[in-house]
Amino acid sequence: MNNLKIKKSSIRLVIALKEEAQVILNYFRLKPVNEKTIYPIYKNEEETHWLIISGIGRSNAAASTAYLYSYSKASIYTSWINIGIAGSDKGNYGDLYLVDKISTYQRKTSTYPSTMPKATLPKMHLFTSDIPISDYTSYELIDMEGSAFFDIASKLTSKEFICLMKVISDGPKNDIKEMTKSKISNLIKVNLFKIIDVVSYYERISEAEFLIIDKPELFNDIKSKWHFSATQSFKLETLLRRIENFCNKKDIEKIIKNCETSSSVINVLNLKIKNNLVNWSKF
Amino acid sequence: MIETIYVEEVIKNHPRTKFILKKFKKSRIILIDKYGEIFNKRNQNFRIQKSNPCLILAHKKDGFVLPAPEGFGIGSSKNFYFSHMYNCIYDCRYCFLQGMYSSANYVIFVNFEDFDIAIKKIIEKNVNTKLTFFSGYDCDSLAFENVTGFAKHILSIFKTYTQIEIEFRTKSIQKQPFFSLKPMKNVILAYSLMPELMSNSLDNKAPSISRRISVISELASKGWKIGLRFDPLIHGENWKELYKELLENIYNNISTDCLHSVSFGTLRFPKRMFKDIFKLYPNEPLFTSPLSLNNKMISYNIEIEEEMTSYCKNLSLRYINEDQIFKCSI
Repeated sequence: MNNLKIKKSSIRLVIALKEEAQVILNYFRLKPVNEKTIYPIYKNEEETHWLIISGIGRSNAAASTAYLYSYSKASIYTSWINIGIAGSDKGNYGDLYLVDKISTYQRKTSTYPSTMPKATLPKMHLFTSDIPISDYTSYELIDMEGSAFFDIASKLTSKEFICLMKVISDGPKNDIKEMTKSKISNLIKVNLFKIIDVVSYYERISEAEFLIIDKPELFNDIKSKWHFSATQSFKLETLLRRIENFCNKKDIEKIIKNCETSSSVINVLNLKIKNNLVNWSKF
Repeated sequence: MIETIYVEEVIKNHPRTKFILKKFKKSRIILIDKYGEIFNKRNQNFRIQKSNPCLILAHKKDGFVLPAPEGFGIGSSKNFYFSHMYNCIYDCRYCFLQGMYSSANYVIFVNFEDFDIAIKKIIEKNVNTKLTFFSGYDCDSLAFENVTGFAKHILSIFKTYTQIEIEFRTKSIQKQPFFSLKPMKNVILAYSLMPELMSNSLDNKAPSISRRISVISELASKGWKIGLRFDPLIHGENWKELYKELLENIYNNISTDCLHSVSFGTLRFPKRMFKDIFKLYPNEPLFTSPLSLNNKMISYNIEIEEEMTSYCKNLSLRYINEDQIFKCSI
């Protein structure tokens, strides 16, 4: 029955700089939204993928994440992805890392993002700083937005739907002062297919959740024919989810067609469940 | 394959932490302050976590041994349980652990010695009382034994206190440490069972019923005491034939001299827990069963429950005595 439903994933990308975002904007064919917004926002035609340019720093990352949530009407099953450059003396220049631990100066405790399973990408501990750091020795990865992005995104969805990816751009051997716009763009570009691979995992889990929470096929049809209170609507939804596993649409329509009230619809569906003998050999 | 292991700072050098970590050489180790930073936090997706759970190694501070819920016993006047682990490597659709914690990650408490102390205290406080301890209420008692070695560790206490019973309840086919030890009369190896057809659909990631029966048979023939736990009893088409086949298969393959006890339990979910589990897995066949709200619990109606329990009990009475049969009613 699920394959009749419209497949729809939901992705929100939060990226600090336009130079970091450009190749991603191109890949997903994201276009600027047609109105003035506090932060630059882009979206695809289907409105499944949205991207915001947050600017540098924790305040911008937090504010833009919350702003994009509200502006794009994201759901709890939307995946949130932060992509950007980071400093490090532990990894190699140009390599892409997933983040599985985040620390800051401000907080004693760390936070622990989930990472996609079976990822071939290496993982690192991210330190988010409010000021540029030139001493790289104490940390694995250093950025200026990650912790704030994660803190806000964690309030919007489960941590399994949040991802942080960082490309190493500077370190003891690659002075931050020598970074140019084109170098930044290029760092993302050379990792684009790895990034897309990660994004596609988050597209899949988001889509899978939407399929699960999608209303049963007959729900709206039935609701349009009888008047259901909020409690009855919930009961109807639950009963239909249970019944549609062993009863097809036509049969359900047949058993309720003579019902005069919403209560009798619920009673008839309850009876259908009550009399069901599960055929375990089918599953 | 466990990809990530979180280790509490305070136990990072504990010998048992090192012992466990040696078994996961390819996993990424992340140091944490408290297991609560990862486990049971809000905003976690249980279903996604369950497909790829992490392991957390932690130090348990209190609540090592607790009184068992009423209706959980097998004849003793006082029943207690302890859990060295939270969550289970199996994914059984009727299991209360799906709604118990918001996280599907596994927590292992490495300070086994604190469990020893708490168990001994209870034994010494309850002299002349028949006691039974249940190992692993919040997990499968033996499924992760090859990683933790907890059963092997805890058995040493019950070698000393031979009048005190301990039950390990499991769906695993883990034979060690029992297979290489001399049988102990106060140890019950209790196996959760249901007809294979139902188990195939409901006991995700758990060993098949036939493999479980084969291990039960081996351990029984070595002289270990066996408990059979038909809990929950599952309703459906041909349930009588399916349970008859299962019960006869077991009783004909196991020396009934080794049977310590048999218990039957009905399928019951607290209302809130059912709501959570149904939300996680709305398309599961189990939820197409005739389950409804009865006395604040989601269950089969009382007629189905009684019919199933008495049918299975009567069949069992052909092989065992009435005093070996218990009803599990939690």
